Parts: sequence; C-alpha cells; structure tokens
Amino acid sequence: MTDQIKIMVIDDEQIMRDGCARILSEHGWSVLPAENGSVGLAKLQESPKEIDIILLDLMMPGMSGMEVLEKVQALDDTLLVIIITGYATVASAVEAMKKGAYDFIAKPFTPDQLRIVIKRALERRRLQREAEFLRSERERSLRDVATEKSRVKTIINCMGDGILVCDRDSCIVLVNPAAGRMLEIPESRLLGNFVSQSNFPLELSKTIEESQKAGDSAYTSISQELIIGKAQEMFLRAHTAPVRNDLSEIMGTVTVLQDISYLKELDKMKSEFIAMVAHELRAPIATVEQQLTVILGGMAGELTEKQEQLIARAKERTKGVLILIKDLLDLSKIEAGKMVQYKEPLSLAEVIPRAVEMMKSDAIEKNIHIVFVPPPRISLIQADRDSMEGIFTNLISNAVKYTPAGGRVTITLNDHDGFVKISVADTGIGIKSEDIPHIFDKFYRVKSIETRQIVGTGLGLTIVKSIVEAHLGTISLESTEGKGTTFTVLLPKIADMTSCRENI
Amino acid sequence: MAKRILVVDDDPDLVEAISMILKSKHYEVIVAYGGVEGLEKTKTEKPDLIVLDVMMPDKDGYTVCKELKADPVLCEIPVLLLTAVVSHISTTRFSHQMGMETEADDYMDKPVEPVELAKRVEALFSRQ
Repeated sequence: MTDQIKIMVIDDEQIMRDGCARILSEHGWSVLPAENGSVGLAKLQESPKEIDIILLDLMMPGMSGMEVLEKVQALDDTLLVIIITGYATVASAVEAMKKGAYDFIAKPFTPDQLRIVIKRALERRRLQREAEFLRSERERSLRDVATEKSRVKTIINCMGDGILVCDRDSCIVLVNPAAGRMLEIPESRLLGNFVSQSNFPLELSKTIEESQKAGDSAYTSISQELIIGKAQEMFLRAHTAPVRNDLSEIMGTVTVLQDISYLKELDKMKSEFIAMVAHELRAPIATVEQQLTVILGGMAGELTEKQEQLIARAKERTKGVLILIKDLLDLSKIEAGKMVQYKEPLSLAEVIPRAVEMMKSDAIEKNIHIVFVPPPRISLIQADRDSMEGIFTNLISNAVKYTPAGGRVTITLNDHDGFVKISVADTGIGIKSEDIPHIFDKFYRVKSIETRQIVGTGLGLTIVKSIVEAHLGTISLESTEGKGTTFTVLLPKIADMTSCRENI
Repeated sequence: MAKRILVVDDDPDLVEAISMILKSKHYEVIVAYGGVEGLEKTKTEKPDLIVLDVMMPDKDGYTVCKELKADPVLCEIPVLLLTAVVSHISTTRFSHQMGMETEADDYMDKPVEPVELAKRVEALFSRQ
C-alpha cells in the first residue's frame, strides 16, 4: 500500500474522464482513467491493491457498469466503488449500492460535490486500512504465540532434566522424554494419566499430592531423592512445587527430575577417599604425637632444655595437623548431609550452657567473663543436638580466642519473628572490613600481629556456616576493629519449618 | 602389689608409648597387638584393667569389649576405650552412642595426655 491515493475513473465519455482527472489531481490524488469496463478491470488486475477508489459510470456501451461492479467486487471486496449516474437513473444507483457500491454521485456534479464524495470515501478507506492493520497485527501475535509454544515444547523435550506438570487433579498434563526415561515409564503411559495410577515411585506421588494442598501464602518447594530401578540403581533428585495463578490459587504442580547417579558415585568415592585419609594419615600422626608426649613427659629419659623445647614445638605441629584432619572430616560429613541427620525438637536454652561450660576453662585462663542469661521462654527448633553444640562451642571459642585478657563474651538468645536468634558478642580485636566477606571461606584466616599467635585451621567458621545452612538458618556478623565482633545466627522455629522442607 | 594393665592396640609404637606412660606410674603392663590376642591375654593373664584400642583389623575394640562384658568372670575388669576421634563436633554423640553400646567404662581420644590417662585409670580403680 502506498501513501499516494489512486483513483480509477471508468467512463466512456472522454470529457468526464478528463474533468474528474483535473479536479482530483488538484488534491494530489493520482488518477487512472479507463474508457470502458474491460480496460478498467485489466488495469485493476495489473496492479491490485494499488487502487483505492473507483469512480464507475453505470451507463456504458459494452460491459455495463453493474457488470463491472460485480467483477470488481469479485476481485477485491474492500475496494470502494462510487457510481456515477444520471438523475434519471438514481434507482439503478441504489441497486448498485445494494450490490456493494460504496456511494453514488449524480451527473452533472460540481467539483465540490465530487471532492466531498471522494473525501468521504477516503476517510472510509483510511478506517479500512487501519482495521486491516490491527487485524494483521493480531494475527501475527497469535502466530507468535503458536511459534513460542512449539519452541518451548522443543526446548522442554530436548532438556536433560525430566519435567512433569500435573493439573489440580494430579493428572499429568505435560511430560518430556527425559522424565519418562528417568522414571522408566514410557512417556505415552504418563501423559493424561493420574499420578496415582502411573506406576510412580510412591514417595513422589505422595509429594505431588501434598504440594496440591500447600498453604496459600507460603512458597513451598519439596526436594527429595528417589531410587529407581532394581538391577541397576539410578538416583534421582525430584524438586516439586505448586504452580499458582495470579490469585495465588494452586493450579497444579511442576516436578523437575535430575539424574544424580554420577553425583552419588562421586560422593561415594569422596567418602572412601576421606575414610582412607582419616585412617592412613590420622593414625600414624596420632602415634607420633603419643610418642612425643612420652618423651616430653621424661619417660624416655631426661631431656635437655633445648630438646624439650624442640619436642614441645613438634607436638604442637602434630596437634595442628590432627585438628585439621578432624575439621576436614567434619566438613566432608556436613557436606554429605551426614552430620545433621538426627534432627529433633530442641531448646537452645539447654544447648548453649553446655557450650559455655566447655569453654569455661579457656575463658578463666584468660580472665574473660562469659555472660549468658537464658530467657524465661524460648521457641523450639528442629535441630541436631551435637551440631548445635558444635557451632556454639566454635563461636564462643573464637570469641574467647580473639578477645584480649579481661574482656567479655556476651551470648543472647531470644525469639525473633519466625526465628530463634542467637548472638555471640565479644569485646575483642574485631575484624577488618576487607576480611569480613571472606570470613566463612575455607582455610581463610585473618593475618595480623594480633592473630599470629592464635592457632586454627581456617575451617571453623566454614563448618559453622554449613551447619547453620543445613538447618535452613542464616549467620551474619558485625564487627568494629578494636571494639569487638558480634555473630548472629537465625534458626527457623519449628512452627515455621513446615512451609520450607528438605527431604534430602 | 602393683596393678596389672593390659594394653591392646595393633600399632606397636602406640602400645609402647602407652606402656611407658603406665609404667612411669608404677603399673605393671602386659601387651597385645590385636583384638583376638587381647581377648586371649585377658583370659590367661586376668589383668586388673584393659586399655583397648577401637580400630583394629582382626577384631575391633567394640566387639572385644562386648565379648568381655558378656563373660560372667571377665565382665568385672574395667575397660578404657581408646578412640581415634570420629569428629570434632560429634564427640558427645560418639561417647553417648558408642559408650552406651559398648558398655565401656571410660573412653579417651588418641593421643592421650599422660596426666589425664593416669587420672582416668586411677578413677577406674578407685571405683571398684
């Protein structure tokens, strides 16, 4: 479609054609004259879609105007045809309009009359074009949606992870080949079937049904491990979450399946390696240290002052290696999820005093005062007792280590929204702001004159953080150099645990 | 008469070191280099106390301890288990679970401090 308006004039009278052309071209509209119907139709076929309006004389020798109108309509029914007619034949003009002509103008007409009729037709033409444009836009976007749909389908089908979407009745509405392969059920037997009737692993169908009943506000995602197959076991990790509409109502569930067999295999190798290290490395070093203690105790004869000094230092070194091995073992156990297997409802008001007790002798030695006042009431958390004791022993021990003699370590415990909040504050040397982002990194230790004498493996806080995270909690710290450091741990209360579960 | 203590460990160097500590405290020491030998020596030598390692290839310390405690005569002999520490964090779990299971009378992590070992041994004797 060009911006230039093109008007065809079909009239057997030369004067009419020329007259119309003159009037219309004054407006910058271009005029295409035709001396009879056949010529007009031929020109129309040559350049379809280029003509906007046709001025058509009804009374012509040969092909009549009415006939031409019919054929124009057959070619393009959006074309606007204006009938030129004499006064005597208004009736036929009306008939022509019934057949689809847009308007008519009676001869003789003034240039103004012609302009008015044409302008009205052009306005109509503009609306027509606009409507057509909108329609094509809509078609294109519908086509895009269709393409997008097939594109998403291709992506889902090509994915290595299994995807399984269920509707509100737990009927499978979308499944990709990977899911079928992982569950060892043919895709065709999954799609359109109910989860309960699809030979699903029992735990998974239970999880899907539970997800359908999840609370309205809480975001719930359940992940679990499944073992598939009898002969050759395959380990799957399944993440299931409810799908909600904009009113937050559950519309169904989506499950993503991952084959983690190779991870399991790696994990096994790692555990075996660590067990080997523990046995092969730990035992001889422990024996060496034992021998050193015997020498140092004078049980193998008197020592010179220098010998005693050297042996004492050697013993410190073996001690350091043994602590490192212990920490590594702990960390690998936590990472393998073995450390926090025994979760039970727990009151930290009972755990913390034990950790304080364990650190008491170190604190007394440095004349550091440990303050802990248990609150009258504290919510329970779902936690592993030993791990909890471990993290607080670690945090308190750090606080004691990095606080100069005569200082104070204050432990507070209270409920804080859905969490139980514990903070361990010291009046110690503090942590430089550039060290804070790395403080939980493996083997990271702050190096300064003050810390040079302090023994450590750089794994303590890494272990603490791993345990806190394994309990779905968070740990943060605030520190001012020279003033002290406060570590704050948030652990979810039991009541709030139900909305965020891990079944791993 | 000096009390007799049986030290059982598959690591001869460790057996020697532990023996030297105990001898310095004037105990009489007999030794065994494995679980099976340890059980044998207990039966033949009737020691007053056993210092028993956990990790031994032929028969581990738990099994040895269980068999001793099941014996109507030998069950009276106190057993001090020497554990190769399982973990920094879970020492309490270890003591809780393993201690209950094995019915050992006490347990210590290797390596032991001589003073601490002597204290524990003395405590076990005074309990009798």
